[in-house]
Amino acid sequence: MDDSTNNKITTGDDETANQQERLLPIANVSRIMKQILPQNAKISKEAKETMQECASEFISFVTGEASEKCKKERRKTVNGDDVCWAMGTLGFDDYAPPLKRYLDRYREVEGDRSATPQRNEEEGRPSSSSTQFDPNLKPF
Amino acid sequence: MRQAKTAYSGFLSGGGIPRRHDPHLLPLARIKKIMKKSSVDVKMISREAPLVFSKACELFIEELTKRSWNMTIQGKRRTVHKEDVAHAVATTDVFDFLIDLVHPNTSHHVDLNEDLEKKQ
Repeated sequence: MDDSTNNKITTGDDETANQQERLLPIANVSRIMKQILPQNAKISKEAKETMQECASEFISFVTGEASEKCKKERRKTVNGDDVCWAMGTLGFDDYAPPLKRYLDRYREVEGDRSATPQRNEEEGRPSSSSTQFDPNLKPF
Repeated sequence: MRQAKTAYSGFLSGGGIPRRHDPHLLPLARIKKIMKKSSVDVKMISREAPLVFSKACELFIEELTKRSWNMTIQGKRRTVHKEDVAHAVATTDVFDFLIDLVHPNTSHHVDLNEDLEKKQ
């Protein structure tokens, strides 16, 4: 029952957990990188880790801008349009059209659910899913 | 295989976003966490926002990877290294926000490690 040893192990796990929470999973990031590169290309572990960091920074950067807009307009919820707008403002013009299409397609299928400013969606409470799950909605 | 079952499990698994949509390459819950940490001003996030980011990050990673690969082949290599990514960042205006992150002289992480060592 060595407390100091236990403390060290716990601290290590906490560090790793915190580190991982602010990054996208390396496997997912790797997969996207591989998909765009030729078959014979290789990617170093460091390059993958750097890409993870860059992706998180990208999210933070764009979110900051989007949230600033919401603040100015006295809105509490950062929505998809805010994110698209922020990207356009920050120079990612090329991304805006495919993203808009992506979002429009999603809204088309989801109907009015996503467009309606509703209850706090952060928690994703299952008990409120009675409005989310529509048994009549057939998949294509 | 029943499509309905796939859609149902998608609704239950969190966020209510059915799996029959484009499969997300990136986890939405993690994206949401990163968004929340970006600023104290971020209070509520719509269900769509992480979804938009899942696609945007894919595009971002693709672009940065392609540009990094250009550096790799300029160096007549076949393995993308961290330096290639740093070089791609340095030569692309829209990636200016990443300069401190990829620049080898960034001492931020080193300082953190030193702090932790002292505490232990």
